Amino acid sequence: MSASRARDAVAESVRRCCGVAAVALRAAVRTRMVAALLVLLAACVTGLPRVLKGDGTPSGELDILLRYTLGFSFGLLCLATLWAACALFAVEIASQRMHLAAVKPVRAAEFWLGKWLALLALGAALLTAVYGGVYAQVRVRAWRAGWSAEQRPAGRRVARPLLPSIAEEARETYALMRQRGELPPGLGPGAALRVLAEQAEERYEVLNPGDEVVWKFRLARPPRADEPLLVRLRFDTEYSTREQVAGLCRLWLADRPERVAEVALADFTLNEIVFAVDMRALVNGGAAAGRDVRLAFRHQGDPARASALMMRFRKDVAVLTPGGSFEANLARSALAQLGVLALLAALGLTLSVCFSPPVAAFCATVLLVLALVSGTVVGAVRETGEEGAWMRVGLRIARLVHDVAGQATREEPLESLTRGELIEGRALLAVWLWNGALAPVVLAVFGCGVLRRRELAAGD
Amino acid sequence: MGRCGLGGQPVIETQGLCKTFRDFWRRPTVAAVRGLDLTVTAGEVFGLLGPNGSGKSTTIKMALGLLRPTAGTIRLFGFGPTDRRAKARVGYLPEVTHLHPFLTPRETLVYYASLFGLPLGEARRRAEELLEMVDLKGAAGRPVGRFSKGMARRVGLAQALVNAPDLLVLDEPTSGLDPVGCCEVKELIRLLASSGVTVLMTSHLLADMEDVCDRVAVLARGELRASGRTAELLRQPGVTRFLVDGLGAGEAESLRAELEARAGRPVCCDVPAVRLETFFMQVVSREGSARAFEVAPFLRAARQAREESGA
Repeated sequence: MSASRARDAVAESVRRCCGVAAVALRAAVRTRMVAALLVLLAACVTGLPRVLKGDGTPSGELDILLRYTLGFSFGLLCLATLWAACALFAVEIASQRMHLAAVKPVRAAEFWLGKWLALLALGAALLTAVYGGVYAQVRVRAWRAGWSAEQRPAGRRVARPLLPSIAEEARETYALMRQRGELPPGLGPGAALRVLAEQAEERYEVLNPGDEVVWKFRLARPPRADEPLLVRLRFDTEYSTREQVAGLCRLWLADRPERVAEVALADFTLNEIVFAVDMRALVNGGAAAGRDVRLAFRHQGDPARASALMMRFRKDVAVLTPGGSFEANLARSALAQLGVLALLAALGLTLSVCFSPPVAAFCATVLLVLALVSGTVVGAVRETGEEGAWMRVGLRIARLVHDVAGQATREEPLESLTRGELIEGRALLAVWLWNGALAPVVLAVFGCGVLRRRELAAGD
Repeated sequence: MGRCGLGGQPVIETQGLCKTFRDFWRRPTVAAVRGLDLTVTAGEVFGLLGPNGSGKSTTIKMALGLLRPTAGTIRLFGFGPTDRRAKARVGYLPEVTHLHPFLTPRETLVYYASLFGLPLGEARRRAEELLEMVDLKGAAGRPVGRFSKGMARRVGLAQALVNAPDLLVLDEPTSGLDPVGCCEVKELIRLLASSGVTVLMTSHLLADMEDVCDRVAVLARGELRASGRTAELLRQPGVTRFLVDGLGAGEAESLRAELEARAGRPVCCDVPAVRLETFFMQVVSREGSARAFEVAPFLRAARQAREESGA
């Protein structure tokens, strides 16, 4: 009996949520908000690739289509979602339409959830339209220009060199500096470790002509003879002497060091080199026994004329293995971005419960700008321990906003998509756990609390 | 007026109810309601009367949980006003019907039905019956935003009935309606009350209140000034009126003179007039503008269920 009652209660709750969501969706469609957004997005998806000029290479075209077009469309969707969410409760309360709904037996959470789901559904539909438009353009361009299999976008797994973790490296450097008495006097251990970690992440290693470096990689699965590995190297070097730079790459399996695949690199005019390694030279049919591979790079430029190469090993060196199709990666990217929209919708709704429409929109915009600016502030200002009190407070706030916003945008799906890197399922799950579940729940609890407590009617 | 109610149980009870509005700095600005004690019992039509700013709407909004009392208590069916068990039994028509302008009346009613957790099929059925009842079937596909005030009022009334409420709270229910609409609404209130629905209503139109209310309370400056059964409050003690059908002018005059001689006081004799509303309704019903009021079948079923549970 109690189980059937619980089922009925859940069914009623679902109906209430669906009712609220349906009205919010109808409002969006019938007030022509969706139509206006569709026109804007269509102009963006079709217009931007015509306006922006690439470098003529397939990767340049993909860069424009995937990074800029999708990025700009996503930015538009973010703003639209945030502002629409800011209006949903606030307008209903201000126009007294909420009176009729609030006297019905609806929980605050059901109102909140219904509206959030409506925004999510709308975001999903618009994102699908945008991604569909971009995908069609990628297919048409690939077909027209006859891109090769390697040039076509894909979703490849990325293996990075096995190096000590950033935290570990920061701790070691900290211990060394403390031993030598090189630590700035006003900087506490926490701040010092944070600064050292940031430096470690961005630190460039210098490869002079004649130098050689060997990296260890652990692939997701043993390499196969019929699947070539892609190696990607990014570097910085002096522009005027790039033509003098040359290098030799060698790749071998850790358990079979006697068989080495060599690739000579002579063209360093772009600051990124991607090349395929035929694995038939290393694997005798089927799959290799182990997952570990080694990659060596020797700078073979003329010591008298060539400049050194500068590389951030953690970011600039990668071995790419087949992971999935471009279509699946595109879908994952869309899902990751939908997660961000879910978070923005939750933020807007909660602000909408607390403030009037213009105040909610203003607060949302300020928060958004703060989130965008905080990264620049945190990146530009290095703590030395000699800052004044105000500066320290400002930095702390900027760091807090940056950390919270960083959680939301930790995964950069468009970056992965453009580089042909597989967006891992675990990363997607993490995005949704934070953006689609944890943060919205926290915001919803706060918003529902306010909605329950605030007086919806004004005095006559 | 006899009602088949829920046995006179209190439906709304207020004790020492106060509401003081405050400004941004929490300083008191207006004491809208001061120490209001009221009891509305099941099955009666209770009217709140008072001039503008007397606290009628504020009282109603506190009863519905839209405003929080500054002091005192208010109970609906024995629950607090924000309790969902109480809300499930209440229908509300606000003073101004703020509906979603882009929804059609049908969608509006289905939406409000969904807020009561009704299945979609049942919500649609009730919506159709209510549209028929408020005579909006022909305009069911047009957005409410394009409706006249009277039509929007009818939609508002229909949404207040979508859950077959036990308590109907009507804030100025006849505002914006033409005389025919007013009569229909009053007839509906009487019908609902006769089926055991408790009605709490406010109106500026005293004639409307007089027509439908069993009891009234008069508020002024947030205080209760008078309350009681309408008939008792309006009775003129010490005055007697005879109504005789078919007397000629001469006969009437001789009877008046006879009564004056017996009573030793002046006696007034006149030809009674029907009320303008009655006359108007007689005229428009001859022209076919008025229609017989049909209560929605699901409301009749609810009435039956109430009667059975009452029995």
